[in-house]
Amino acid sequence: MILLAKAALGVTGTLFVAGAYTFHEGVIRIDVDEHRAGGSHVHVWVPAAAVPMAMHLVPQKQLREAVEHSREALPIAHAIVKELKKYPDVDLVEVVDGKQHVQIRTRNGKLQIDVEAPDEQVHLLVPLSTLEDVTRQLEDSAPRA
Amino acid sequence: MSDCKRGFCTRTALAAATTLLLIPGLARAQTPSAKASSTPSTTSAKQDRWLHVRVISSDAKGETVRVNVPLELAEKVLPAINHDRLHGGKVKIDCAHVNDVDLRVMVDAIRSAKDGEYVTVQGTENDVRVAKQDNHLIVHVLDKGKAKRSQVEIKVPMKVIDALFSAGKDELDLVAALHALSAAGDTELVSVKDNENTVKVWLDSKNVTD
Repeated sequence: MILLAKAALGVTGTLFVAGAYTFHEGVIRIDVDEHRAGGSHVHVWVPAAAVPMAMHLVPQKQLREAVEHSREALPIAHAIVKELKKYPDVDLVEVVDGKQHVQIRTRNGKLQIDVEAPDEQVHLLVPLSTLEDVTRQLEDSAPRA
Repeated sequence: MSDCKRGFCTRTALAAATTLLLIPGLARAQTPSAKASSTPSTTSAKQDRWLHVRVISSDAKGETVRVNVPLELAEKVLPAINHDRLHGGKVKIDCAHVNDVDLRVMVDAIRSAKDGEYVTVQGTENDVRVAKQDNHLIVHVLDKGKAKRSQVEIKVPMKVIDALFSAGKDELDLVAALHALSAAGDTELVSVKDNENTVKVWLDSKNVTD
């Protein structure tokens, strides 16, 4: 009985530590709702810490192709994210056009993009530290000149 | 196992399991809802300079665009952009002669000149005024066209213009201009008003538009 209790405690402790580590950077949240016939509804919550780890599992060939496609944008994205981390909550862009509303802002160290239109709603929330990690990893995997 | 020990183990396991179950909830609580509308502070902690752009359209849809950019961010990001004529924060201009006017010579002349009005045109269709006042270059254009009456006002510190032309020949140094702009006080740089749109570009220490 004691052995069982110890094993349960060990498993629970491990799960606790793993859970705490996985969620320490927060979550990436993607919500897409298309309000039309056959429209999709996507709601994804991913632990932010899992993304840089998962990138190590992406085959190098695919990673290099992705880098090739975003070669010009990567340094810019990296520079923007790195700088944005230094600032408090910022409303970067807001566009209101009739019933459409687009907002790009930072909140508590996360990049938040909200798009609201009569037929669809998109909400994206990504920790800036995750974006920085991802852009840095992509830059590192670029073939050296 | 004694009842006491069994009770302790059970309580510990229960507490650990409860904490584990709460972790996603805690993480969620730390993560603001996508719809959260916490208001950003109006003035940033250190005196950062912010460039604001606001476009308000008075048409039926009432389109509004608001952009807020920290100048320091723009200064750091611009050198990372290497596209077309923009490299290392400098933009190449084929020749600093626009319509046979040597811009560099003109800037030198304005810099050394005293405050005053340099150009004043009052026509039937346009009024144009170019002046130097309190170390600012001021351009005022009033389009009196019947279809679309518009008014453009540009006010740029001379130090910014100097910095812009501080790069080599046939180059404009955007990063240097932004750096010079960050030393300027709160100022309205560009204002455009016509029948349909109002555009305003200004600089201050607030990280939100009014």
